[in-house]
Amino acid sequence: MTYLDYSATTPVNTDVLDTFNKVSLEFIGNPNSLHKLGVASKNLIEGATKQIAELLNVKESEIIYTSGASESNNLAIKGIALQYQNRGKKIITTELEHSSIYGPLGYLQKLGFEVIFTPLDNYGRVDLKALENLIDDEVVLVSISAVNSELGLRQPIEEIGKLLKKYPKCFFHTDATQCIGKYPISKNFFENVDLASFSAHKFYGIKGIGCLIKKDGINLEPLIHGGKSTTIYRSGTPTTSLIASMSKALRLIFKNNNYDYVGSLNKKIVEHMAKYLDVTINSNEYCLPHILNLSILGVKPETMLHALEEYDIYISTQSACSSNNAKSKAVFALTHDEKRASSSIRISLSYLTTDEDIDKFLVAFDKCYNQLKLK
Amino acid sequence: MKLIKISSVWCPSCLIMHPRYQEIVDKYKLELEEYDYDMNADIVEKYQIGDLLPVVIIVDKDVEIKRIIGEKSKKELEQIFENLGV
Repeated sequence: MTYLDYSATTPVNTDVLDTFNKVSLEFIGNPNSLHKLGVASKNLIEGATKQIAELLNVKESEIIYTSGASESNNLAIKGIALQYQNRGKKIITTELEHSSIYGPLGYLQKLGFEVIFTPLDNYGRVDLKALENLIDDEVVLVSISAVNSELGLRQPIEEIGKLLKKYPKCFFHTDATQCIGKYPISKNFFENVDLASFSAHKFYGIKGIGCLIKKDGINLEPLIHGGKSTTIYRSGTPTTSLIASMSKALRLIFKNNNYDYVGSLNKKIVEHMAKYLDVTINSNEYCLPHILNLSILGVKPETMLHALEEYDIYISTQSACSSNNAKSKAVFALTHDEKRASSSIRISLSYLTTDEDIDKFLVAFDKCYNQLKLK
Repeated sequence: MKLIKISSVWCPSCLIMHPRYQEIVDKYKLELEEYDYDMNADIVEKYQIGDLLPVVIIVDKDVEIKRIIGEKSKKELEQIFENLGV
């Protein structure tokens, strides 16, 4: 099997799974219970939280555990909008977000909020001046993903954060799901970010656990009411083993500097594709090497996906959580080309990807290309 | 004349088009019937809604007279409705 869909999800690291199993078996108490089994679980969670906070350079009190990035995005967006709606009802975002950003925004739009799309430059990056021109007293939130999931495009999060710091009534949320573990984030990455979402299964953790960083002093209307858990913003029995496993996954991935290696794999694919005049690379120089988006003009993305599947090779069309819409909004936002947006595939790489995997993919790609183009 | 709009909360084009259609509805004083793509499978099937959203079906005396699919500028929308003699 050649798995090239690491941006959809990653296989769990066996050490992470061992942590999950060990904690599940040995820490059976509910962390909210007052007896010593409960206290042991609570202490374990506190230790894990401390480690996560240190790795991300945030405070322990700023970590809210969720079921994953979709919940974190919903909590951040709905939570801020509903909490601060008396200040204003405008929210700014981009055309490069995940459906779990658009979902809550669409919900809020129905409630009377105004959703504004900030312009992007020719590289798909947020135009800072244009963004600043959109800010007024009515804007309560700006939500911009750190890395787009279809193209791998990085946004200048630190610069946006600095700009928005001048407007203290406007909160800044970033969906950092595709960024954690892929490139070394600076110590100050979250300094001017008010809220940030991520999910463990994107960095070899277990599905079902994620996090919302929420800076102290900011309030949120919870999505799930029902008394204090690890925080007052998300009720439910704390998931001790999942939390411990996420801490482990984060520690492991922060030790793993894979950027240059993955870059060499990406380069190999790009160089191979140069021989095809009707294959265009949609990812640009601001994109992470872990995600390579390309269009095969005249070939439907799902047709190529299933053709490669016959060779036991697994890629993706749009972001796995997007609809079955025929056109990729993200590719169109970047290229302004309907044909490219209707024929794009995503190859996503990992430190686990080998040179042999890439060779197998390229051989199969050539065969599928010829087969589909001859049809 | 009535507009039947099929859209979804997770669709960015639907978010972009929402205020534009609202302006059209207000400007031409039209009736608007809205359906969520995911929640109304019967409507999606009845009107044979494809892959692109939002879809706006313009109905006059229960007969479909035009269908607008995907994103349109404010100008394009106004042109469509003026051509229909609204």
